[in-house]
Amino acid sequence: MMTSENSWIVAWSNALGFPEGLPQWLYAVGALISVFVFVVVPSGGLMSYLERKLAADLQARVGPNRTGPAGLLQPIADLFKLLQKESRVDWSWKENLWLSVHTMALYSTLAVLPLGSMAVLVNTEMSVFLPFWSALVLALGTMLLGLSQNSVPGWFGGIRVAAQTLAGSFPALISLLCTGVRSGSFRWSALAESQGFSPWEWTVFANPFQMVAFSVFVMSGLVLLAIPPLDGGLSMSDIHGGVSSHLYGRRLSLFQFGRFYGFFFWSVITVVLFLGAWDLPAQVTVSLKAGGANQVLALLELIWLLLKTFGLMLLIVWVAKVNSRSRVDQITDFTWKVLSPFSLFALVGASLWAGWRAI
Amino acid sequence: MKESVFSALALYVQSVFRGAWSIAGSCKTALPYLIRWGDLKKEVTEGYPDPISSKTADDLPTRSRGLLFNDIDRCTGCRDCEVACPSRCIRVESEPGSDPAKIWVSTFDIDFSRCIFCGLCVEACHPGSLVHTKQYEGAAYAVPDLVASFGRGQITDEHRNKWAMMRKLGESDGVAP
Repeated sequence: MMTSENSWIVAWSNALGFPEGLPQWLYAVGALISVFVFVVVPSGGLMSYLERKLAADLQARVGPNRTGPAGLLQPIADLFKLLQKESRVDWSWKENLWLSVHTMALYSTLAVLPLGSMAVLVNTEMSVFLPFWSALVLALGTMLLGLSQNSVPGWFGGIRVAAQTLAGSFPALISLLCTGVRSGSFRWSALAESQGFSPWEWTVFANPFQMVAFSVFVMSGLVLLAIPPLDGGLSMSDIHGGVSSHLYGRRLSLFQFGRFYGFFFWSVITVVLFLGAWDLPAQVTVSLKAGGANQVLALLELIWLLLKTFGLMLLIVWVAKVNSRSRVDQITDFTWKVLSPFSLFALVGASLWAGWRAI
Repeated sequence: MKESVFSALALYVQSVFRGAWSIAGSCKTALPYLIRWGDLKKEVTEGYPDPISSKTADDLPTRSRGLLFNDIDRCTGCRDCEVACPSRCIRVESEPGSDPAKIWVSTFDIDFSRCIFCGLCVEACHPGSLVHTKQYEGAAYAVPDLVASFGRGQITDEHRNKWAMMRKLGESDGVAP
């Protein structure tokens, strides 16, 4: 895991004031924590604000405008409000256990989250698939969290989440293979190198089959992680939020932030796979590397990647806010009968295309 | 008629594209709201209490039913409003005033914690003294503060002495007959 590719961790740790010569695992832990604190949490605050404002604009409402200028401090106010709340009295140890499993499965993906050419912690031929194992464990944790709750919404929500995850993981995996077919590898670095800065170098616009694969990948991710608009498993209207219906205060904020994180990491992966990853214009990369400004380069790559990620997330929010919520049976039906065949179609097409190009 | 594989496949693809088209259609419908285009830029929701739309109470419709107001100088104390009120939030007490033909409305209390703003009392009001204002900000910290009193207060000896003096001088006491 720790090779010369991970020298960025040492560089960054030194820049942040860590002493040199510490064991490698300590650097890795520091890197994970700083990724969470400096990238994921601020993104969560920003996205929750943007999402609410965007939804308000689309639905001809006003949106948050009381806390701070234009309601900018609303995420912080929400956090403090949730932290103040008392927890339920009849909370059982089983629920604690499964909430912990759920949360650990979720944040274990931080280790494989690719955030730039110099910010890839795990870069093996299997890296791309690691988030899937986490997503499956996450679904297991969510299902058992729901089943351990003494409530009908919890039971239904848990089973629905499991059904959605099973349905969504197949087309997601198949459409993921399409990107490997184009780049010839499942390393994050190879996937990024096979693309470029300008949109016509991105995998999504390489050929029509990749476009299909991209659409399928995004939608099956929404199904897999039960993200709106395809969030039948955690639907508010018919099962009162499913698994989250019995979560209050701190636990609810943990769960909701986890849902945001799932959305975020899926969007980051989608951007890396299909939308040109963190690739800056080639001359910028070369000149920055030649100048030894590796940290500036890493920061620019991170910003460019996050900008594309937020764009994709806002696009999904737009679709989610203006369309009616789908029922859970419609979602699984759609996933098995539409997304899966289309993903297979895309894989066959992309493979033939790649073979034709090779000849 | 037996369906062929190809027609079934065509139907399937057609329905998928129809669904995608419908999703795109609703996204397109909402777009003018997002980019603030044309008449659609205005929020339908009024930002309250923020003056987003700069609307005041006076901009409310003419017949909007806000807090009640009773012009006690025109009120005859007939109790028609008290009888008409379905939630029994109006309490009227009246007694003979300076001369027996005049009614002194000593109590006219409207309990806004019970009022349902139905407007029946205003319809029943013969002299037209009880009206709905356009004022709607009636929040209070305690329930007793929600009672609005329009009455002139109980008649005391001071009043009687004053009336006797006025009668001597031939002045009007300002109470409607």
